Amino acid sequence: MHHAFKLGDAEHNLELSRSASAYRLHLGEQVVDVDLKTGADGRAWLTLGERHIEVVIATRGDDVFVHLDGEAYQLRYQHPLDRLAAQAGGSAEDHIRAPMPGSIVSVSVKAGDAVAKGQTLLVMESMKMETTIAAPRDGTVAAVTYEKGQTFDRDALLLSLEPMEKKS
Amino acid sequence: MTTAQPDVSKWPFQSVLVANRGEIAVRVLRTVQKLGLKGIVVYHAADRGTAAVKMADQAIEITGPTPVASYLDGAQIIAAAQASGAGAIHPGYGFLSENKGFCAAVEAAGIRFIGPTPEQIDLMGDKVRARNFVEKAGFPVAPSAIEDDDPKTFVERSRKVGAPLLIKPSAGGGGKGMRIVRDLTLLEQEIERGRSEGQRYFGDGRLYCERYIENPRHIEVQVLGDGQGSVVHVFERECSVQRRFQKIVEETPSPALDAALREKICETAAGIARSLNYRNAGTVEFIFGQGGEFYFLEMNTRLQVEHPVTEEITGIDLVLQQLRVAAGEKLGYGQADVKSSGHSIEFRIYAEDAARGYTPTTGPILVLHPPQGEGVRWDSGVLQGGEVTSAFDPMIAKLIIRGSDRNDAIARADKALRETVLLGCKTNTAFLRRLLQHPAFVAGDVHTGFLDANPQIAAEPEMPAETLQALLGAAALSTRPMRDVADAVPDMHAAMGGWRN
Amino acid sequence: MKRIESKLNTASAAFQANAAHNRKLAEEFKEKQRAVRHDRPQRDIDRLRQQNKLLVRERIKLLLDPGTPFLEFSSLAANEAYDGEVPGAACVTGIGIVSGREVVINAGDASVKGGAWYPLTVKKTVRALDIAIENRLPVVHLCDSAGGFLPLQADLFADKYMAGRIFRNQCMLSKMGIQQVSVVLGHCTAGGAYVPGLSDYNVIVRGTGAIFLAGPPLVKAATGEEVSVDDLGGCDMHTSVSGTADYPASSEEEAIAIARDIVAQFKRPQKAHTEWQPPEEPHYDPSELYGVLPQDIKQGFDMHEIIARIVDGSRFHEYQPNYGKTLICGYAHIWGYKVGILANNGVLFNDSSLKGAHFIELCNQGRTPIVFLQNITGFMVGKEYERRGITKDGAKMIMAVSNSEVPKFTVMCHGSFGAGNYGMSGRAFDSRFTFSWPQSQISVMGAEQAANTLADVKIRQLARTGKKLSQEEIDAIRDPVLGEFKRKQSAYWSTSEIWDDGILDPVDTRNALGISLSAALNTPIGDPRYGVFRM
Repeated sequence: MHHAFKLGDAEHNLELSRSASAYRLHLGEQVVDVDLKTGADGRAWLTLGERHIEVVIATRGDDVFVHLDGEAYQLRYQHPLDRLAAQAGGSAEDHIRAPMPGSIVSVSVKAGDAVAKGQTLLVMESMKMETTIAAPRDGTVAAVTYEKGQTFDRDALLLSLEPMEKKS
Repeated sequence: MTTAQPDVSKWPFQSVLVANRGEIAVRVLRTVQKLGLKGIVVYHAADRGTAAVKMADQAIEITGPTPVASYLDGAQIIAAAQASGAGAIHPGYGFLSENKGFCAAVEAAGIRFIGPTPEQIDLMGDKVRARNFVEKAGFPVAPSAIEDDDPKTFVERSRKVGAPLLIKPSAGGGGKGMRIVRDLTLLEQEIERGRSEGQRYFGDGRLYCERYIENPRHIEVQVLGDGQGSVVHVFERECSVQRRFQKIVEETPSPALDAALREKICETAAGIARSLNYRNAGTVEFIFGQGGEFYFLEMNTRLQVEHPVTEEITGIDLVLQQLRVAAGEKLGYGQADVKSSGHSIEFRIYAEDAARGYTPTTGPILVLHPPQGEGVRWDSGVLQGGEVTSAFDPMIAKLIIRGSDRNDAIARADKALRETVLLGCKTNTAFLRRLLQHPAFVAGDVHTGFLDANPQIAAEPEMPAETLQALLGAAALSTRPMRDVADAVPDMHAAMGGWRN
Repeated sequence: MKRIESKLNTASAAFQANAAHNRKLAEEFKEKQRAVRHDRPQRDIDRLRQQNKLLVRERIKLLLDPGTPFLEFSSLAANEAYDGEVPGAACVTGIGIVSGREVVINAGDASVKGGAWYPLTVKKTVRALDIAIENRLPVVHLCDSAGGFLPLQADLFADKYMAGRIFRNQCMLSKMGIQQVSVVLGHCTAGGAYVPGLSDYNVIVRGTGAIFLAGPPLVKAATGEEVSVDDLGGCDMHTSVSGTADYPASSEEEAIAIARDIVAQFKRPQKAHTEWQPPEEPHYDPSELYGVLPQDIKQGFDMHEIIARIVDGSRFHEYQPNYGKTLICGYAHIWGYKVGILANNGVLFNDSSLKGAHFIELCNQGRTPIVFLQNITGFMVGKEYERRGITKDGAKMIMAVSNSEVPKFTVMCHGSFGAGNYGMSGRAFDSRFTFSWPQSQISVMGAEQAANTLADVKIRQLARTGKKLSQEEIDAIRDPVLGEFKRKQSAYWSTSEIWDDGILDPVDTRNALGISLSAALNTPIGDPRYGVFRM
């Protein structure tokens, strides 16, 4: 299972293969026949096993947006090479990303500072609310990306910690 | 009530500049252009390509240190109006719509301000003065303490208001900087926080506090005044479904009111407007207790976001009324002429993630298929191909539904929300569907804390396995690297599948 | 092309009895495969897990495109050797689809003796690379081997087809422009180091992968130098200092993903042009093959019934239906690919030999690959047939088979005895692929005849010294020979010795031939040219 999509916070591994007439979706040990036919108006019919489902799909970069059964979903493709390299590169806790777009109210640490789990790293503001970003673990600050007053988008890297020493 | 098309040739202005953006700019332009007047907008570069800019007869770019700042730059906008020969300026809502200085400067520049007088803005714009004015005029206000009255005793007087109480910045609005205090030992600490936020948001740290009504409903009344002695109310709107003190769903009539209470609250509102000799469309907001008591909250001296529900049940074009009054026309009708039928609900389509605490989302609008059908109105400033950025408020559209009664409107709304396709940026449409299917909403039994008390509505429901399969299937088939891997397999091997010997 | 009309009565007791018998044989075969693939001492599995290593079949699953077939070669190689302690000959080879390309996979199995190379490991690996050369298939090497098994070094090191041949074959592939990727998932020591050394692209896993001519202990013994595995031949050294490996990977999964991406860069071969039409399932159910095959090796059956359960639509154009009827010749399609089929329906006579030689020439003229379905007791013997020139007629067939330019495929369906094995493109005749059915047998003659022949020789020797043997003494000579003969003529012996490319459950024959045909067409088909046919 090399390929994956991120849907919300969950990562789903999957594979796609071609059958004699269409495609197969591999989810773990489960295999489902799938196909997608797009009409002239951009609406599409998804075949899933015995079911036919009307969907609207749009893509941008690695993001796939699907309107299905009255709801819109966003899935982000994780290329196997990126995903596997990232898995090796350290834990997600090393990289603290913005939970939402916003701006920096204050930064309490600088690169090289030792921080304890739960310690305030910075305060951001979004949607009229201040959010405190705290250290997810004990460690050392590797880099701080933004200064007070700067704005950022969701998932922007706010701050990174030095990677943990590998325990052998 | 349907009003005849006015004869605009006699009006003192033949063109209107909309000093706003997004859906409200579109909304105003629609009436302006329908009347045969020239519609002009100002826009920041971030809004180039939006519906309002495309629709306007003339669009003038304005600049500023931030996109928002450019729409707050009154001098630049007035200069644009003069350069384009605009005879009037419609401020929409937000931005400069309740800015006395702007209003005065517009009038001073010889341009009609489509709104109230600067004095009315000034009075109602200061919550404390507004409250005092209303109280003196004999209308109900909630127990409160105003810092300005005597800053030294503010804490003490606040304590006397009693818990729970609400601290608000005097200069605030829209819920910014508001804090609820249930434990009076925290009062001083919360006052300091509120002051700091007020200072940051409004440049004004003055506060006031008032009794906090548990589980209140938010009911407001639309009023129209011509500034020449005529004031009517155009019924109430209930806006109790809120998150973070911001409205999400508004409807009319309010399911909380019977005929008698409706008349009482609407007449109160009309009375307040009358005591101001109010000019323009305006909204008097009340906090409405579960026991049927209501207190004046504030008066908004502008067109409200949620004005369309009122239009839907009365047939009155509120923007048209604003224009007429600004042009010097009298209302020309009385309260008895204002009639309503049916039920209307507005849903604010926000670019936000309800499950993540309603945090705003950004992204491209890759696909936009607005819903269609009987009783469905879509007021939006965004177009397919546009982009939702963090530069502005995350509201991207309003879905306004009209039905023969409340249940009919709810059913139509569910269908319309289901059929609303907006891809590229997460919106709250699925959340809105969960909300309107909630038994309490169906029963009309909501209050302003309803969503906080029912966080499961905002939470992402568990996804059925079949839905997940469908999504992964659709996504896999729409992702080139995955499809390429599958398509690269020769036909025979593909047909054999995972055969092993 | 008309459909073969089956004369089989699937309701008959004989059919049912055959079916039950052959199904059981197929199940026994599958059980042997399962054990060979998966039964390992727990400590070996634990050791690999502790090293963060995947098992070889997990690696292959990650490497292959999902939902695509894998034609494994010689799954039971070495099964009858080394007391059965080297299942599968400690390696897995086969043809699979990686990034849409047909490739040969050559994977060491570190769960067997640390992936040490036994003589049959070398033979199986050389054969896999021969397949790559003959069919111009890129190779993905999944390297994880402890190196040559030293106690048997004399049987695996020096001779022409021993370990050196692996590297020689790699060089041949390279010369032919056929690309190879090595994924270094464990140690590649000594000779093993040349597998990546001779590959075009190398991926190496940090921490577990290493390449060196001599490991740290040997280095210390040779020069006294003390050095760690990583410093001597680890991932970072080779990818940043020596340039022996190209891509560092932090995990096996990542290494295999990189290898997939490398294969995706390979140019796709231009397939040789042969006749093709959209495939069609056989009209007759292939599982009826179990009921067609008799329970006794000596019992005959109509090979038309076999053909009807392998070819597209069960359709067959039979050549010379009334001449030389003990050899069925004709055209059919398998997975859409046009093939010529030669199938035995009895002993080879003069006429059937001539018919076979002629038909092989026709197939070469028409660029039609040939499938041999063997069930042959040999060429006819006896005065009359010798006078008619059975030897030279058989020689004509062998000449045609040997010099055939179209790819050949051989299935040992039942018996394969004597020179019939040669005439029907036995292992020595370079069929691109050779498969055996579980009950098939190969030997120079039948076991009984062989045992009797050997016993007779002994009896005559003793008779010359005036000794006469009792029946018990004759049996004592005859029975061990018979037992040994029977063991060594079974398909399990053949496949253990890698005289074929694996045993097939008969129902899998169609797919195995399809994959083989597709692979074979990567190599251009030359113009036919023969030696001298003795007329």
